Amino acid sequence: MNPSHTARLGLSLAAFWLAACIGPAMASTASQVPHAITVIYSETDKKAADEIEPIIVAIENDKDLIVYRVRVATGMELAANEARSSGHVNPSANTGAGGIAVIYPDVSEPYRSVFARIIEGIEEQSRSRVARFVLSANLNPEDISNELRRQNVRVVIVLGRNGLKAATGLDRDIGVIAGGVLSIPEADARNISVLSLAPDPALLFARLKAFMPAAKRVFVVYDPNQNAWLLRLAKEAARTRGLELVSHEASDLKTALRIYQDIFASADPRTDALWLPQDSTTVDEASVLPLVLQETWGRNLVFFSSNVAHVRRGALFSLYPDNVEIGRHLANSALGYLSSGGQGPRGVLPLKAVRLAVNARTAGHLGINLAGNQIALIFPEQ
Amino acid sequence: MTRTCIKLLCTLLPLAWTSTAAAQPLVEEDLAMAYGDKATVSIATGTQQALRRAPAVATVITAADIAAMGAVNLDEVMETVPGVHVARKGTANTALYVMRGVFDANNPQILMLQNGIPMTLMFLGNKGDVWSGLPLDNVARIEIIRGPGSALYGADAYAGVINIITRTAADTHGTDIGVRAGSFGTWDTWVQHGGKLGPMDIAAYLRVGDTDGPKETIAADAQTLRDRTSGRPPASLAPGPMNLGRDAVDASLDLGYDKWRFRGGYKLRDKVGLGAGIGSALDPTSWAKSERVTADLSWLDPHIARDWGLGFTASYLHYADTVPTNLLLAPPGAKLGATVFPDGQIGGPNKWERQVRLSAYAIYSGFADHSLRFGAGHDDLNMYKTATYKNYLINQTTGAVTLTGPVADYSVIQPFMLPQRRKVSYAYIQDEWHFSRDWTLTAGVRHDAYSDVGGTTNPRLALVWDASHDITAKLLAGQAFRAPSFNELYGINNPVNKGNPALKPETNSTLEAAFSWQARKDMQVNVNYFRYTMKNAIRAVANTPGSMLTTYANSGEQQGRGFELETVWDVSRSLRVTANYSHQRSTDSATNTDAGYAPRNHLYARGDWRFTGGWQLSPQVNWVADRKRAFGDARADVPNYTSVDLTLRSERNKGHWDFAASIRNLFNATILEPSLAPGTAIPNDLPQAGRSFYLQATYSL
Repeated sequence: MNPSHTARLGLSLAAFWLAACIGPAMASTASQVPHAITVIYSETDKKAADEIEPIIVAIENDKDLIVYRVRVATGMELAANEARSSGHVNPSANTGAGGIAVIYPDVSEPYRSVFARIIEGIEEQSRSRVARFVLSANLNPEDISNELRRQNVRVVIVLGRNGLKAATGLDRDIGVIAGGVLSIPEADARNISVLSLAPDPALLFARLKAFMPAAKRVFVVYDPNQNAWLLRLAKEAARTRGLELVSHEASDLKTALRIYQDIFASADPRTDALWLPQDSTTVDEASVLPLVLQETWGRNLVFFSSNVAHVRRGALFSLYPDNVEIGRHLANSALGYLSSGGQGPRGVLPLKAVRLAVNARTAGHLGINLAGNQIALIFPEQ
Repeated sequence: MTRTCIKLLCTLLPLAWTSTAAAQPLVEEDLAMAYGDKATVSIATGTQQALRRAPAVATVITAADIAAMGAVNLDEVMETVPGVHVARKGTANTALYVMRGVFDANNPQILMLQNGIPMTLMFLGNKGDVWSGLPLDNVARIEIIRGPGSALYGADAYAGVINIITRTAADTHGTDIGVRAGSFGTWDTWVQHGGKLGPMDIAAYLRVGDTDGPKETIAADAQTLRDRTSGRPPASLAPGPMNLGRDAVDASLDLGYDKWRFRGGYKLRDKVGLGAGIGSALDPTSWAKSERVTADLSWLDPHIARDWGLGFTASYLHYADTVPTNLLLAPPGAKLGATVFPDGQIGGPNKWERQVRLSAYAIYSGFADHSLRFGAGHDDLNMYKTATYKNYLINQTTGAVTLTGPVADYSVIQPFMLPQRRKVSYAYIQDEWHFSRDWTLTAGVRHDAYSDVGGTTNPRLALVWDASHDITAKLLAGQAFRAPSFNELYGINNPVNKGNPALKPETNSTLEAAFSWQARKDMQVNVNYFRYTMKNAIRAVANTPGSMLTTYANSGEQQGRGFELETVWDVSRSLRVTANYSHQRSTDSATNTDAGYAPRNHLYARGDWRFTGGWQLSPQVNWVADRKRAFGDARADVPNYTSVDLTLRSERNKGHWDFAASIRNLFNATILEPSLAPGTAIPNDLPQAGRSFYLQATYSL
């Protein structure tokens, strides 16, 4: 069954509004006066009403509560708005989704599993099943907006660049938390919170120091259009760790290759290391990676990468995403948004939920002892 | 049939191009830069990676590989592995995974593991003759090690080890329902689920299916030969079709909680046709049944303390191999010696096994440049019950059979075997010593103490040199052993072969040199050279020269050598080519002739072409050549064959449906697997399926 159908089914079963009414009686703050709760439900939704009946009866048994039942013939949204406009009622909804939705693209395996694990983490942390929207040709932004409104979703977690794109068409009062992307233009990140897939340079450098205590300099070649935000963080992180980050900008491959050659000519393997960020301009798989693999091996130079596949090829280590943990982080951000009434951090955050991948062959070549490290992935596999 | 195939392709290919799936290049680009290529992502999102236990010549087949090759059965995967050819046994057409020229009618020289636990049954020392295949829908990965592995794995890791890793909750998200139907009245349906049950990871799988099996013709059988001299009307049912129908149920449950994992499994094979017959005489009506129940509990903490890792496993197996209909050893009207059997010679061997295995290991990495692994275990392997039904008695001196009347219970009077029990205790140690920059020496030794065949100690040595950033060289030496099966030790009242309780384990010493070369950024090349010597090989030896009556003895010696070359080349983002070529020459030392059965040359190649709309087309070709006859078999060499398969499948790019279509043996090549020497029983070898196809649909909730 389509998850969104499942969510809809759940939502229709729970299609009632539980309005906590801190009304005039509450306003008097007389502790002897019982609290009043109004349950508003639609007469058209018989099934939901039947299912909620035992819950209401249980609430009614509490002597400190008075329950008012209001059956409406209109849609629930209208009833809620009316209740809210009365000024005495603070409506809260039981949508079955906890006010959080996830929008994500329909990608092929194995990336589909990545999103599945992230959503697993979101649900674990939010302690409820979130509403899911799988982006497809049949689902346009207006449909999503309508559905989010209908389910009273106040914050969405969008995964992947396509999810982010879909979020731009949503109502402005719906908060957006983004994950599953490397980075987005800084102007676009002003109003939303983005958890990048780029591992936090601070963690990378900490790991480098653990493997190579004598490290003093880290070389990196990057395209400012892609990684200016990350390099700002990296410089600060390097300073904290007592490292000098020698960064070179390159906006094309040719320039990048020339810089790499210069680095290899001048680097001291006893104290220097090379970092390959996630950068499609300066980290080309066809030309840069073979050069880096060959030169770093020949010169016994430590090289680490933000891309775990490079460890398979020969990078000493990488930090790759812990998907369930990412989900938990995103859920926390969404819950924070809800509890703070729409306030929360904005901008792009680097990834802290990471696991360690190491190439034991390269470590052996460099004379690095891996014992005692919590390693999630070891290459080569055989 | 050809027309059907063409129609099928004509229907599916346009469907492929017009698939409504929207490509997600941007998303995948981001993910690829974070998680790496698809192969790395699969590893990074799965439960655990391949076991890095010891340097070896190994192949890992992933679920993605399995899907690409269109394989639905383990046998189809094994045929694609370098150095391996899948031969067949006449009885039930059971697969024999022949590695590097080591052939035996029962295939006990391969250790088959499921999630690291032996699947070996004691009666024949193999996976069981009523096997009827293993489905792959629930398989996450298959690890195949060629060469000796007894220093770590113990008995039967002789020619190689196959470890089947099933899916856990990390490999399955949500619920998948699948159905597959194809030639020979074959259908399968399955459901699998992966998710959470409170704090627990849960994965479950259920598959039900059946088939009538291919009806390839056996032109002549053992009875055909007897008929020639019987002076009676022919009794043989040949020419006639092999009986290869079966019903199948497979179920498993996988629960994970913190460091604990529990697995339960059930495998039923019912109404299993006997192929060319248990007595090499066609038996169209009888059938056998096997039922395997497994459970295991394991605990693993790779970082229990500084420099220490620890793990243990306890496992249980119950296996019942029964013949509810009894079996025709010879057809009605057959004359055996001087006796005519009006209803045929009928036998019903039944056996039940119960196995408990306990093992524990520890890893210590506290010494500089050393990583130590040591472990110990105990196995209680009990064939606790046997039952024999038949309508004849055997003269134990002459081997002559006498008709006794209707089928009766001979479990006490003249059983095929009495219950037997074996206990094994073992311990091993391995040290991986990084003794110099780019050089590692791994040394290991294991001792196994058997309650019935004594002790055996098997060492292994591996020297690995990381010669450059793109070349690794390995030099491997090791000794392996195979414990005699209960049938070889204790078989009694068999019309032909008699057990020998004095048997010792047979051994295999192997030397390998292997090179791994990242030839280009998109091309990996592996090549290895091997040579081996088998000693004390267990063979059925004639009681007197020329006699048909034999007794098992440690009498054989075989030598072999060869090489395997394999490559994976990512030609472009949408095309990957996988190919391997294997060559081997194995010689029986006593006769100085080819050991027979196994192909000297074997080539396999597959292309995986991903095209618009998230579809993948994978043609594959398999060339099997130069299979000589064993000593004493005067028949011409087994004919070479080239088979081509074609698989088209969707890659879960859209919605909840997935489809696959596969044509096997597209050009209807004649495929024959050798029958046993000297070829008098099944003279024309064992014919395998011609062209066939299947269609498959999967729906993901």
